[in-house]
Amino acid sequence: MGAEAIPDVHGHAGRPPSSCRPIVHCPFVAFYEVCFNFRMNTIEVQDLRRVYNASIGAIRRSRKEIVAVDGISFHIEQGELFGLLGPNGVGKTTTVKMLTTMLIPTSGRIRILGLDVVKDAKKLRPRIGFIFGGERGLYWRLSGVDNLRYFGSLYHLDPDATRKRIPKLLEMVGLSDRGEEKVEGYSRGMKQRLHIARALLHDPEVLFLDEPTLGLDPVGARDLRVIIRNLQAENKTILLTTHYMFEADALCQRIAVINKGKIVAEGSPAQLKSIVSDLSVIEVEIFGGVDDRLPALRALPAVDALSIENREQKQVLLIQSPAGAEAVSTILKLLDGVRVGKVAVREPTLEDAYIRLVEGEA
Amino acid sequence: MKELLRDLGLNVRIFFQGAYLSYLALFAWIRPPHYIATKVVGPVFYMIFFVLMGAYVAGRNDPSFYVIGNAMQTAALSGVFGVSMSIDGDRWGGTLIYLFGSPANRLALFLGRAFMHILDGVFGVIIALGWGLLIFGLDLSQTHLPALALTILITVFSTAGMGLMLGCLGLITRNVMLVNNTIFFLLFVFSGANVEIGSLPGWAQAVSSIIPLTRGIAAARLLIGGESLAAVGPLLWGEFLVGAAYAAIGFLMFRQFEIIAIRRGTLEAF
Repeated sequence: MGAEAIPDVHGHAGRPPSSCRPIVHCPFVAFYEVCFNFRMNTIEVQDLRRVYNASIGAIRRSRKEIVAVDGISFHIEQGELFGLLGPNGVGKTTTVKMLTTMLIPTSGRIRILGLDVVKDAKKLRPRIGFIFGGERGLYWRLSGVDNLRYFGSLYHLDPDATRKRIPKLLEMVGLSDRGEEKVEGYSRGMKQRLHIARALLHDPEVLFLDEPTLGLDPVGARDLRVIIRNLQAENKTILLTTHYMFEADALCQRIAVINKGKIVAEGSPAQLKSIVSDLSVIEVEIFGGVDDRLPALRALPAVDALSIENREQKQVLLIQSPAGAEAVSTILKLLDGVRVGKVAVREPTLEDAYIRLVEGEA
Repeated sequence: MKELLRDLGLNVRIFFQGAYLSYLALFAWIRPPHYIATKVVGPVFYMIFFVLMGAYVAGRNDPSFYVIGNAMQTAALSGVFGVSMSIDGDRWGGTLIYLFGSPANRLALFLGRAFMHILDGVFGVIIALGWGLLIFGLDLSQTHLPALALTILITVFSTAGMGLMLGCLGLITRNVMLVNNTIFFLLFVFSGANVEIGSLPGWAQAVSSIIPLTRGIAAARLLIGGESLAAVGPLLWGEFLVGAAYAAIGFLMFRQFEIIAIRRGTLEAF
């Protein structure tokens, strides 16, 4: 899975890799970028909004408007790995569909590589690559190589260069020895890796990865994160959506947290963590119900936020508290009569910041 | 000019590579047991059933009417079922979003889906005629064989045109196989495969005139009866134009589907 240089798909000798090209093909812009160490925005999103019309009822049908994306704005610089973080159903995939020309926004503007995604969709498509999470989107009865050959022809790639490029891409995603096998025999992780190879076939300047590690086992997800990190090293501009905090923390330079169609926070992982930097997190393992104690716990001055996680046979109370360890004895008094396991006090993580943001407590 | 030729070359590649790979990828009957059962053995039983029924009901002792009709009807197995599977299969497989997200020429992509099924359909009709020769002693001694081959090709093309249109219906309906089965049996009744067109009521004859197969079956019967290519020329042109009209309607539907799905966000809605 090394980051070895992959041949140009168009068969042009000596062409610099796409990532080295300026976003706007103008010598003055390139000069400005070099002299002032200034990077143009590859992606600019302004006041983006998407409303779906849903019909309800079988006989007496009524229509309902659902606001999936509600006036979001952000930008991504060239070569940046930007994360869109949020729980399921808050508008991440809708946003990616609009960015990839697969859905027309209700209002707002998106410019990618200087092109408008609605007006210039045809010009933009050869320059972007995208994958949506899950196992679908590949021809299962074809081999991995044939899938790539087919998608290569759809992107008008030079056949000879494609033949040379496919083994390199398969090597990059760790499928060299399985490329000739039918995709129906691939694991979920292998299919996701083949998706990445497919998205990279035409050497796009911008990549959109919508929940690429969704449903993967820990090893598969780790392998995929290594691939994504290598892509970033190739200076590709990447937008990654995920609801895994540690993934966003490990990979992204900047993150926007999206909730109910709106961006509720944006910044580097460190900046987002600082939202909860004044707090400690107290984790209390409990066995059995504690619903009757929750109102009293929440009412404690030392408790800023409280959530419950189910872990196999037990539950874990996650309490964000400005008092830290000093609050433990008060909390345990309120849990008198409940079987309590381990109690730990730790520093807050990005996940704690995220929970605070999406629960609207920040 | 050079740019035009380059684009043409790219589209020809999308057409042929897409034709071959989509056939392998999306044709559900491609596995040998399915293929043999559906396209080799199945038509024999249709043929036997209608020959025996024709002899009993209509007192027809010459089985060639039913043998030719049912052999030509097998064109619809590839043309209607195979082609529509190749179009709507992308939706079920989740690949449609990646096709529409590519810069590929939509016409080359769309028509390419029919190509292998046309070849396959020609092969299927030849096999079925072979059964007719073996089991019912179909007489081809008076037949201008190249003309018959052309007739088979045009007839399969015509059914593929309808298949392209039905495949697009599959992009907007939940279960296109129900529609395909209805159309397949509608062809059985109205195409003249088993019932003389002249014996049908007026409205049914009107239906016959606008569906694929009708003219192809008539031309095949005339050719096997000893007529020349020139004599069946108008029938073949008619059959070709019917197929081209369905393919054109199908392509318009395909483009409309893409535009509407991207506007409404229904690309993957079922």
